[in-house]
Amino acid sequence: MKVPLSWLKEYVDVPVSAAELADRLTFSGLEVEGIAHVGVDYTGVVVAEVLAVERHPQADRLVVCRVHNGREERRVVCGATNFGPGDRVPLAEPGAILANGMKIKSAVIRGERSDGMLCAEDELGLGDRHDGILVLPRDVQPGTPFADIAGPQETVLEIEVTPNRPDCLSMIGVAREVAALLGGSLRWPEIPLEERGGPIGEKTRVDVEDPEGCPRYTARLLEGATVGPAPRWMRQRLTWAGVRPINNIVDVTNYVMLECGQPLHAFDLDCLAERRIVVRRARAAERLMTLDGREHKLAPEMLVISDAAHPVAVAGIMGGESSGITESTQNVLLESACFSASDIRRTAKRMGLSSESSYRFERGVDIGGIEWASRRAASLMAACSGGILARGVIDVFRKPPVPRRVRMRFARARQLLGVELPNEEMTAIFERLQLPVVERDNEQCVVQAPTFRVDLEQEADLIEEVARVHGLDAVPAADPQARLVTDADDTVIRRRQVCRERLRGLGLTEIVNYSFISDRLADLISVGPAEKRVRLPNPLTADHALLRDSLIPQVVETLGRNRARQADRAALFEMGRAFFLNEEGRPTEEERLCVGLMGPIGSSDPIRRAAPSPVEMFLWIKGLLAAVTDALGIGVPGAWPYKADGLRLEPADDLFFEPGFGARVWLGDKPCGRLGLVAGRVREEWRLADPVSVMELLTDMVSQRVFDIPVGRTPSVYPAVDRDVAMVVNQTVTHEAVLRVIQRAAPPELADVRLFDVFEHERLGPGRKSMAYSMTYRSREKTLTDEAVNRLHEAIKKVLRDELAAEIRES
Amino acid sequence: MKPRDIQLLQEAALAEARQAATIEALEAVRVRYLGRRGLLPEVMQGLKDLPPTERPEAGRYANDLKEALTALIQERKQVLANRTVAGQTGFDVSRPGAWRGYGRRHPISRIIEEVTDIFFRMGFTVADGPDIETEYHNFDALNTPADHPSRDIQDTFWLEDGSLLRTQTSPVQIRVMESRRPPIRIIAPGRCYRRDTVDATHSANFHQIEGLYVDRAVSLAQLKGDLTYFARHLMGPDVRVRFRPHYFPFTEPSLEYDFSCHVCGGKGCRVCKQSGWIEISGAGMVNPKVLRQVGYDPETVTGYAFGMGVERIAMIKFGIEDIRLLYDNDIRFLEQFGA
Ligand SMILES: [Zn+2]
Repeated sequence: MKVPLSWLKEYVDVPVSAAELADRLTFSGLEVEGIAHVGVDYTGVVVAEVLAVERHPQADRLVVCRVHNGREERRVVCGATNFGPGDRVPLAEPGAILANGMKIKSAVIRGERSDGMLCAEDELGLGDRHDGILVLPRDVQPGTPFADIAGPQETVLEIEVTPNRPDCLSMIGVAREVAALLGGSLRWPEIPLEERGGPIGEKTRVDVEDPEGCPRYTARLLEGATVGPAPRWMRQRLTWAGVRPINNIVDVTNYVMLECGQPLHAFDLDCLAERRIVVRRARAAERLMTLDGREHKLAPEMLVISDAAHPVAVAGIMGGESSGITESTQNVLLESACFSASDIRRTAKRMGLSSESSYRFERGVDIGGIEWASRRAASLMAACSGGILARGVIDVFRKPPVPRRVRMRFARARQLLGVELPNEEMTAIFERLQLPVVERDNEQCVVQAPTFRVDLEQEADLIEEVARVHGLDAVPAADPQARLVTDADDTVIRRRQVCRERLRGLGLTEIVNYSFISDRLADLISVGPAEKRVRLPNPLTADHALLRDSLIPQVVETLGRNRARQADRAALFEMGRAFFLNEEGRPTEEERLCVGLMGPIGSSDPIRRAAPSPVEMFLWIKGLLAAVTDALGIGVPGAWPYKADGLRLEPADDLFFEPGFGARVWLGDKPCGRLGLVAGRVREEWRLADPVSVMELLTDMVSQRVFDIPVGRTPSVYPAVDRDVAMVVNQTVTHEAVLRVIQRAAPPELADVRLFDVFEHERLGPGRKSMAYSMTYRSREKTLTDEAVNRLHEAIKKVLRDELAAEIRES
Repeated sequence: MKPRDIQLLQEAALAEARQAATIEALEAVRVRYLGRRGLLPEVMQGLKDLPPTERPEAGRYANDLKEALTALIQERKQVLANRTVAGQTGFDVSRPGAWRGYGRRHPISRIIEEVTDIFFRMGFTVADGPDIETEYHNFDALNTPADHPSRDIQDTFWLEDGSLLRTQTSPVQIRVMESRRPPIRIIAPGRCYRRDTVDATHSANFHQIEGLYVDRAVSLAQLKGDLTYFARHLMGPDVRVRFRPHYFPFTEPSLEYDFSCHVCGGKGCRVCKQSGWIEISGAGMVNPKVLRQVGYDPETVTGYAFGMGVERIAMIKFGIEDIRLLYDNDIRFLEQFGA
């Protein structure tokens, strides 16, 4: 809301500077976002007296004027003829720069020399009229700088009015605050009202068919008006307040709206069928062309202002073109009414229409101020247009609202604010705000909420008034307190935090991506099923069309982006949510963690530059999985002892994985993630030539044991004995299968089983490979003899032979 | 030689030994002092010429000299020998080591962790809620019904089934209060979404942290005290907190809070745009309507709530100029934020 200071000062004294006023308003809840100094630089523009006006010898439409600027005579060529000798006019002398940026220079125009320019209103930034030179009163001394008579430049406060304070969407509303803060009193404008016409009831009629939607409707009539420009001061103020002047009738409605906050509308009475108003809901298939030139189809729940036949305005939002004020309008019906805020809001939203009027109605207008606004506007209209006002007002106001009374307990206010404020000071604040205290005793007071304060409903609202006027700065800072809440449980969230820290500890750098991805990226790296993706009905851009169903696509994209910036290696992780449609088709979300590796990052050689081979890269990401799960206490896949409910990997056939290098990770019988190498086809997208690996895990599943309590068993004091076994098995036999078999026959003395060599060779035969394991035997009770160990080891070899058809290679 | 002179001699000898830069130089020092024709035997010889009263003391000093110098020469010899070996084998100790480094914290995580850690000390626990929220939790229960103008401020991403991407972390307040009885003392970081066009200071996807304390007799003064403690631990020991009245549907009174500028201390600088203050976010006393909505009795409990934008704080604290850097994940950028 733009508040020109000179306009504000009409209603209240402002004995402080604009900066201080802005500060006081900001710290009491009306945030002043900026102080603009508007108006125009009139340097080089002076008042000149016209001495003579002669026809331009070469051009019919131009005149050559001799003017006197107080010091000397000048010749100026001019296009307007609305003045004559003796008139005072603004003269822009060579060197002046006008409001529209025009630089004035001496020039020869159609053969006649011109030393300056006589100015019209718009050229001086005073309005948008350009139908003649601005003629000034004759008592102005030639040579007077124009700035002296144009008045000082204007200071405009730009105020952010919060949605709860629609009363401050007006000069008087702001003035009321200023009066409360600075201790002045509010000056209401006087309204001289001459109703010289016949009774209004004989000339028009208002029927309100929907009092819910329109609790109050008033109408006045102005007859015989001449539509033309509004007075300069009014147009000037409107311009400063950011409203474009149109004509005297419309400008008055805007002016009064800005003055008191009540939106008004003027109809051309002669364009209303049967010259009357009906407030009703729209009928099916009704249409209306609004003032902005758009045609709307109306829906039956929309509240409209109609004449005897058709809608002529969307109530409270915008008038129709057919009944708008035009230059030929003579008779004006002035509407000042109140419409239901939620009605206006729904309709405005549905039609995609909004206006200064709907903005105010949506927030709530002062139902008690409607008649005042009508009178004020009628008076100004009559004065500006020369029309005659019909006698009286039509005021359809069936059910005046019962005044709200709000109680405030003084002790409660002191407790809630933590401020020791005497009762009297609180009631004084209410009185300064013009909130009548209708009852009070030592414990409490009752305030009757004025109709302009639609926000005051409950005790807390009054306490807020006390707080903001007393000053929030005056609220002391109590000693900070620690307070334990014993039944609060944030274990799950703290587990995730532990995850985050472990991942960093493993050398992974954290990244954060948007929750949105594009269809293209989701298709390129399709992790979940396409039909389960959550699509945004109204995305901002195509890049943000979906909610990500996995963190993998953006992690790969991030590696690609860094590669494009010449990073040769990276180890990244992201923790965040993935989204998908659950079995019932509802959007749902899940915490994930995702890792991506690029370059020789897994090598222990710090100066290595050679890119990893696919196997190497796969083993790094697999090793990282083991490190992560180990760090989180859920074990290491492929480690001894083998646990059926532990971690295991199974080949995965996702298309974004390199064939043969993708795996699902299972924790017991539950899927908990996947890992693998990114397919070359996908890497090409970012010109990632070398292997890239990714891993995504379900955060809450892998972090479930983080806070488990470990058991501290005493290690065995007896020596360990190592025995190796090398065997040739079918290619299809996996390491996990070997462990599973050994586990079934394992004696308690088998302390560890480690794979230490795998190779394929043609001499092993097609489809065969060699696997070598090292087994550690150790008893908790005694030193194992060679014999005892041999016996145990033979038993293991036997199950390997029996169950895996292993050929044991005796060395 | 007088006892005092023997002491001076010792100081000189030890200094020479320390300064000897090679084994040869060290040997020369040894010969000069301890050699058969060195200075020490000379001193020993001279003892008998001293008056009997000074003799024992001088003898003790001479012995001290011998022991101290012998020990020092021994030690220096080893040091110089090691140095020679290192020089000869040519192993470059300045070569890069071979152990993987620590990963970096993302600045958004870093701020969330710093903020939650400070509130942990005050007895807050973390809470969270879903990114996909119901209209009820995100708006209605927070006293922002469908036709409420304050919904305009937050342009919402709606989903097809009528749910939405939360526009604020405040719905976590509702979820926690619905599930538990007071006292409530939570800090809730999380992702939020608004249909903002992305620019240097706006992101359609951002993070907030919400705080809520509901108990008997919670006051605005308590909020100010607790936020001041928080501000000092987050930004620096001299930071002050300022309140400005504002409006939020779910608090009453509502306010915005500012921190005094941690860079200039409030005098005015580029960071605070010469104002001495930096706007942080909104806060207030929980609106009794919200308490009633979750079945609490506003007569017996009151509460404060506050929010903050994580990206904004990260930008202020780390001097980050463009919010988009936080989502760009350039490792050169991320490397600056430590582990
Ligand atoms: Zn500063």
